[in-house]
Amino acid sequence: MTDKKKFLTVFAAAAMLSASFATQGFAQTIKIGVNEPLTGPFAASGTYVVNGAKIAADEINAKGGVLGKKIELVIEDNKSNPTEAAAVAEKLITNDKVPVIMGAWGSSLTLAVMPKLLEYKVPMIVETSSSGKITTSGNPFIFRISPPSSVEAHAFKDILPKLHIKKADFLVINNDWGRGAAEDFGKVLKANGVQVGYVETMDQAAQDMSAQLSKMKSSDADTIMVTTAVEQLTLVLKQAAALGIKKQIVTTGGSQNPDQLIDQAGAAANGTYHLTTFAPWFPDNTPDPKATNYFLGEWKKRGFNFAGATESFRGYDGIRTIVAGIEKAGKAEPAAIAAAMWDVNFTGLNGKIKFEKQGPAGKESGQSIPNVYLIKIENGKIELPKL
Amino acid sequence: MKRYLPWIALIAAASIPLWLHDPYILNAFITTGIFIIAAMSLNLLLGYTGQLNLGQVAFFGIGAYTSALVSLGFDVELIGGIRVVHEPWPVWTGLLIGIVVSAFCGYIVGKLSFRVRGAYFVIVTISFAEVVRLVALNWVELTQGPLALTSIPPVTLGLPGLGYYDFFSKQSYFYLVLGVLAISYIIISRLVNSRTGRAMVALKENESLAVSVGIDVTSYLVLAAVVSAGIAGAAGGLYAHYLKIIDPDVFLFLYTVTMVIMVVTGGKGTLAGPVVGGLIFGFIPVFSRSFVGPELQWIIYGVFMIVIVFVLPEGIVPAIEKWFASKDKSRMPESTQAQVQDAS
Amino acid sequence: MTEFLQHIVNMLILGSTYALLGIGLTLIFGIMRVVNFAHGELYAFGAYFVYFVSILLGLNFFLSILVAIVAGCLLGALIEVVLLRPMRGADIDTTMLIMIGAMIVMQNGEQYIWGGVAKSVNTPFPQAPLVIGSVSVSWLSVFVFFASLALIAASYLLINRTKLGKAMRATFQDRDTASLMGVNIQMIYMATFALGSSLAAAAGALLGPVYVISPQMGNIASLKAFAIVILGGLGSIGGATIGGFMLAFAEEIGAGYISSGYRDAMGFLIIIAVLLFKPTGLFARAERIG
Repeated sequence: MTDKKKFLTVFAAAAMLSASFATQGFAQTIKIGVNEPLTGPFAASGTYVVNGAKIAADEINAKGGVLGKKIELVIEDNKSNPTEAAAVAEKLITNDKVPVIMGAWGSSLTLAVMPKLLEYKVPMIVETSSSGKITTSGNPFIFRISPPSSVEAHAFKDILPKLHIKKADFLVINNDWGRGAAEDFGKVLKANGVQVGYVETMDQAAQDMSAQLSKMKSSDADTIMVTTAVEQLTLVLKQAAALGIKKQIVTTGGSQNPDQLIDQAGAAANGTYHLTTFAPWFPDNTPDPKATNYFLGEWKKRGFNFAGATESFRGYDGIRTIVAGIEKAGKAEPAAIAAAMWDVNFTGLNGKIKFEKQGPAGKESGQSIPNVYLIKIENGKIELPKL
Repeated sequence: MKRYLPWIALIAAASIPLWLHDPYILNAFITTGIFIIAAMSLNLLLGYTGQLNLGQVAFFGIGAYTSALVSLGFDVELIGGIRVVHEPWPVWTGLLIGIVVSAFCGYIVGKLSFRVRGAYFVIVTISFAEVVRLVALNWVELTQGPLALTSIPPVTLGLPGLGYYDFFSKQSYFYLVLGVLAISYIIISRLVNSRTGRAMVALKENESLAVSVGIDVTSYLVLAAVVSAGIAGAAGGLYAHYLKIIDPDVFLFLYTVTMVIMVVTGGKGTLAGPVVGGLIFGFIPVFSRSFVGPELQWIIYGVFMIVIVFVLPEGIVPAIEKWFASKDKSRMPESTQAQVQDAS
Repeated sequence: MTEFLQHIVNMLILGSTYALLGIGLTLIFGIMRVVNFAHGELYAFGAYFVYFVSILLGLNFFLSILVAIVAGCLLGALIEVVLLRPMRGADIDTTMLIMIGAMIVMQNGEQYIWGGVAKSVNTPFPQAPLVIGSVSVSWLSVFVFFASLALIAASYLLINRTKLGKAMRATFQDRDTASLMGVNIQMIYMATFALGSSLAAAAGALLGPVYVISPQMGNIASLKAFAIVILGGLGSIGGATIGGFMLAFAEEIGAGYISSGYRDAMGFLIIIAVLLFKPTGLFARAERIG
């Protein structure tokens, strides 16, 4: 950020503050809470999601808002910390009186917010978290647009025969996301006659994975399945190349930022496969090319790093989902929005957004099933491999 | 006057839910209260025996996990194929067992780590906390690891046949936390004002002298560690049942740092120190949130901390006490001054 | 066997950088009795500085590393004069708290300036690894290994063969006597902190290009450095060097043959074991440094 931009941000914040004072009393806007990590280990991803959310809000407001009112995002930092995530939810609901929230990136953050949703009966769109527990624990205020690893693994089944895998090792981040992926993908592999070798984990903050990779180098598996965020993935690819590992590498989870990988891992990224839920490199192959192009254009216009698009589209779709729900509900009240979410049906950047019921009967959570793409990095370029 | 101050503070605190109807602020009071209890436990070691335990969060986390697991139930297979199945028990037993288990861990850690002092002690305690965190992260069968323990039940009090009282509402939980805080305060104040407590302070001032007059240093330190760990465990249990989810992040080093900040800025070795420091640093984030961006909130937090340590290296409470003492002194006639000094 | 050899090579490279990280901290710890939580932030500072100078200003990669080391040295001196000097004589936990405050400010300052997205530095080394038999290693790592060894040797010589080093050792042994003998204690403290900081910045400058550069990179570096210092004993350069290699060995073997989930626990388990049997660290000679 340049100084000028920083100044503008501060100025805009001050303007918004005074604007919010001015409009108090006669609510002209519909508030939407955004509960994301803006500091701490997940800061980069949380900021991307928030930027995507802002693009959606501006687009919607430019078209006249919803129900004749403009929408206003109330963005709070949950500091990558579950205690804060719960406190932020409480603040958004009780102080800002938001009727609906989007959040909270990581699974432990989302899980910490969930009791608050039950307490105040306010719905939340979950845009990133992948833990299976989120939609199966009987919280009817949860509507998730990101795929849990089971959904991703299920979609992987069709791609699997074309990758010619005989035996795969797993290298996953040691959190719910990585462990969940190892378990769900492991099941699918085994069910389709593929052997599963080592399942190794890496600490969230670890920078050196050469010990785990050295072990895999000498295993007889032909493929390494990797699940982690883009920073660590960059390191895994670089270190695998340094160790002379020539196996097929497939990554899962949809947070890989292939552009950042190409930029930072260089040649080490060549020949790797990635499962992703949004393909901004091929806007014409996405479910809604017009929306994709608009989103990418805005993203570029605001000077954001293109690599962030694969993360931030979830923020964009999350806000659009919320607004669709508010429109269906006809009023900006939590109970009405929660009920109307079941009727939401539109095409997001990564496929149809329509919630299916999951979890114990009578208190089901909503889960939308997005598309899953397999892309390949070849010679520093991203390709949709013809399989 | 000074004698009644804690009671006045308690009554004032107890009145908060009666006039404060903002759930967000009340929530901040509850989480701050939980961390104040943890900070008080740290203060017992740091302030009264001079031992800086940077692994205090381990006891906090052990209390949280034990209490959650006792009330949720578990089913694990130990080495050698022994299977341990535990059915869910009432939550209050979980809290109590959490305290006992934490205290027991405090005993073990105290026995082992009080062989070293100073910087070595600091690092052995950090190591302990890291190992415990990694166990919680990797023993998935018991702790569910990073998948987190969810749906932790709220605290209920009672016995079968006699009816239950549950602490589900924020107001009732506030009183529960306040109650535990008050009990911890009383326990610590009784302990440090007893003969044992004076021995502890003596060995903090001059350990070799304390040894030479026949004080069994290690046993006093271990006693302090046990009480301290038990109180930290109680705070952890309260945390688990309030947040209703815990994962290995409960062992974040940041939480220990929060406790140290509360104790040192408030005034270590004073009973009121952690409470005052805790209120200040518990509420800085709440207030700064509405004015500045996320990174700047942290920067303000850090700068404020450095400034307090610079201006009041002894801490806030001792500085206030000194200020009052000097004011009283200047008002009193010469003759009584000597008595005041004797008494204090 | 192939796998074992690869683990050993990994261990040597990792260990050399761990040692570098540990030496800086052990000097500060041993001589000044400051639990320096900002050590990892100086490491991050070194990494960001290399990124800034080499990528944004376009300076030669090797020169950038030198510039980053000098910058780390100056920043260390500044921190010492502004934050630690006024607090001379305060308790160990008071100065520690100041360093924690510095850590919070620096880490979030980095995020404020550079954003949370990780940065990476391109180096002049070829991407294809060096392959010897079945063992494979990147050229950059080879460079890092030898650069670390050179810096470790330089620090050793500085402490053991120079007048400044002699004064440092005297201060470590007995501050008051050293002061009476005409050693300028204030100067020694500043020099110690600056030296320790420049070593941390050097480790960051060397490792930043190997890994990626992010605001949180300092946290794990601090934790590892503490582990190394305990293994090696306070104020011992030789100890910290061996401690660094031992930690790397435990991690490699732990992750390779026991369980990768407990990889980071290995170092701490060794520490606990060491303190049970030899509470002053493996190599501490409590009365001297060097």
